[in-house]
Amino acid sequence: MPPLSTDHNAKVTQPQPPVQGFFASFFQTLTDVFKDKGIVLMLIIAPIIYGFFYPWPYSSEVVNHVPVGIVDKDNSDLSRTIVRYASASPQLDTRRFLDEQSAKEAIWADEIAGYMVIPSGLEQNVLSGKAASVSVLGNGGYFLLNKNVQMGFLKAVSTVSAGVKIKKSVAQGAYAPTAAQNAQAVPLQIVPLYNQTEGYGAYVVPAVSIIILQQTLLMATAMLIGTWYEQRRHQTSISGWLGRITALSTLSFLIGCFYYGWAFELHHYPRGQNMLGSLLFLLLFCPTVATLGCLLGLWFRQRERSMQILIFSSLPMFFVSGYPWPADQLPTFLQIVRWFIPTTPAINTSVQLNQMGASISQVATGFYALAALWALYFALLVWLRWYNAPKRRQVS
Amino acid sequence: MRLTQLSEAFIRSAAYERRFLHKNPWDLTMVVWIPLLTVLLIWWIFSQTQITNLPIGVIDQDNGPVANTAVRYLDASPTLSVRQMYYSAAEAEAAILQRDIYAVVIIPEDFSRNILSSKSAPLILQVNAQYGTHSGIIQTGVQAVAGTLSAGVEIQRLIKQGMAPSQAAIAYSPISIQRISLFNAATDYQQFLASTVIPALLHILAMVIGATTIGRELRDKQLGHWYGFIASAQAYDNLSGNISANISDSASASASASANISGNVNNNVADNTVQKIAALSQPAAKLPNSTAKDNTNQKPVSTLPSVHMGVLLFGLLGKYFWPMLAYGLWSILALWLATPQESVASSAVFATYLGLLLLMMLSFWLGAIFTLGSFSLRMGLSATGFISAPSYAFAGVTFPYIAISDSAKHWSDALPLTHYLKLHIAQMQMQAPVAISLPILYGLAIATVVAMMLTALLTKRALAHPERWGAR
Repeated sequence: MPPLSTDHNAKVTQPQPPVQGFFASFFQTLTDVFKDKGIVLMLIIAPIIYGFFYPWPYSSEVVNHVPVGIVDKDNSDLSRTIVRYASASPQLDTRRFLDEQSAKEAIWADEIAGYMVIPSGLEQNVLSGKAASVSVLGNGGYFLLNKNVQMGFLKAVSTVSAGVKIKKSVAQGAYAPTAAQNAQAVPLQIVPLYNQTEGYGAYVVPAVSIIILQQTLLMATAMLIGTWYEQRRHQTSISGWLGRITALSTLSFLIGCFYYGWAFELHHYPRGQNMLGSLLFLLLFCPTVATLGCLLGLWFRQRERSMQILIFSSLPMFFVSGYPWPADQLPTFLQIVRWFIPTTPAINTSVQLNQMGASISQVATGFYALAALWALYFALLVWLRWYNAPKRRQVS
Repeated sequence: MRLTQLSEAFIRSAAYERRFLHKNPWDLTMVVWIPLLTVLLIWWIFSQTQITNLPIGVIDQDNGPVANTAVRYLDASPTLSVRQMYYSAAEAEAAILQRDIYAVVIIPEDFSRNILSSKSAPLILQVNAQYGTHSGIIQTGVQAVAGTLSAGVEIQRLIKQGMAPSQAAIAYSPISIQRISLFNAATDYQQFLASTVIPALLHILAMVIGATTIGRELRDKQLGHWYGFIASAQAYDNLSGNISANISDSASASASASANISGNVNNNVADNTVQKIAALSQPAAKLPNSTAKDNTNQKPVSTLPSVHMGVLLFGLLGKYFWPMLAYGLWSILALWLATPQESVASSAVFATYLGLLLLMMLSFWLGAIFTLGSFSLRMGLSATGFISAPSYAFAGVTFPYIAISDSAKHWSDALPLTHYLKLHIAQMQMQAPVAISLPILYGLAIATVVAMMLTALLTKRALAHPERWGAR
């Protein structure tokens, strides 16, 4: 048997009958978890570090002062007004370029995210009532930046354009305030709900936290069970398995509370809209994941394998969860398969409860799905126990 | 003579690894099949390249003809789909909380009246901003509908005042804006997300492989055996004779059990049997007790006074030959998928491929460095996971690099993935000249060579400390 550390060796030398009862198994699991550096690191320390580490890049939350370029070929009063409005925009940080080629080279060198071209003859066309336009060239390779560039320039140019229109209307005899009101007949008033500042971290971190909780608990559980398998200590009764699952989910539940109560608070994310519901969710989510972890541990049968297999799976699981990418855009087969992963119901349920404040009946589907997954995993575990241990059954 | 020794080390090491992978389906899957499946899965996830028909609701308190037009426009918008009309705010809110809809457009009571009397007639969009992707797309879609409505209303108003339709359009908006997305013009998510997520995942997998390939020799205390095997045929014969072969899982259990009972707890016994490294040698199985001699044989090998750096380097290259082959092949597939319809210069594709290959090799060595540095496969994997799994978030693709907080930028700069993706987007999507990305290629190449040297040095150190092998 491969040695783990000195204290594990001691166990190997005197093979002990596996603990069977619920409470014995519960405490045995806790003892083994805290004796094993690797599992403590994965189950407890890693999620705490991630709670600080993952939100780190997003601490500025909103994208502002995007560097952009302006190529002014008109050089008129009007074009200078547009340039002035654009540089006053908090969304943009403008730089002048002499021609389009140098602006394009700046994009390639990642110095600017887009640029506006004011064609020559703009002022003349506007004054003589001809169609006039400016071009805004954004970088479609980066979505969020492109949106900022387009919106920033759009606002600046629309303001100038509205000014021109008002001046003309007034010149045609309209009363100035009426003309100003008409700037847009159907303006759109946008009310962002829940994530009211529309921060990127506030959008992505509450969902990723659930992935982090799941992955660390899965890896730690499968590592523990895999280690026990190597020591031939993995078999136990059904209540023994329940004891193990309870012990592991209790620890994970506490980490979940750390995220809900502290990590989100620290970063000022919307949180705690339905705290009781969120806690109930964790009470269901943690055992479901722990049970899946036991199953994977029995399948992997080796201490390190859970990490080898699971480290890369977070990103694909996140993308099929329906949170960052609408689920009905997925291929039909994936739309079904994704329901076998706990995060699929869990991310949405957690966000709906904790960030949006839904009632438990409004997320009932998520709860049912998690309960069904737990039942499925546990049934598989019981079956595997029966399938893998015919000898032990004969003896007992 | 020396050259043959080096190539011998490479070939022997590759053969050693080939036999291991042949006997260990889990590891073979990790090296060959999982990266292939990952590439295909991610491409498949984003196979619908545009987001369409996001469900929204409408509360129409006006019921006038313009309001009806607004609802029709909303439903006709390719990104939106009016799921249902609601009659109260509470009803709509409940639908948002249940995620039946992601937004509700409210058409206020006096909407038509305001339009008729030339007053501003706002539409109100309440959108679930917690779902950032959905929210962004809905906002753009509804904004466009409001713009269309405005234009229609105003141009009609101007025509009524006696203006020619063509003049009215200009008067409505004296300076119009042509919005041009320079690259990825169709805002294709497959281009944007899938083509950048795939290298990120290959990077994670390659680091795991890097940690595992050398880490399992440490864990199984086989590092000395491996070096002996690649360094000379003599050592190989001595060692392999002592290793029992082809023992199945259950047999190994009983073998170790018997070892336990006999009180002769010898770590090497268990290692050699359980880990099936034994498969390398002749099929003659020996009693566990006799393998105990391993201990005495192995140590002299590992502390051989001359661990030759050249042999070690070529041996490592041979050990990582199969992963490099597999990841090199799947990288071709990944780039072939990521090459957009419009022609990308072949020099750009070649430069990107070179960058991806360097990233893969660098990842192997980084995984190995973390493992050798800590003398533990588990710690190597933990470090790999900690560094590589969130690296996509730091790479500045979804959340722009310029908006990343200053302190986090240093971390982002230290990640190889950030630099590769910069090159990838510049070459594959922005059609930048290759010369612009050359510094990134040089940087990756230098980092790869340095990491390889460091791996060799750390392997040498590990060979000198057999007492630290076997950590879990």
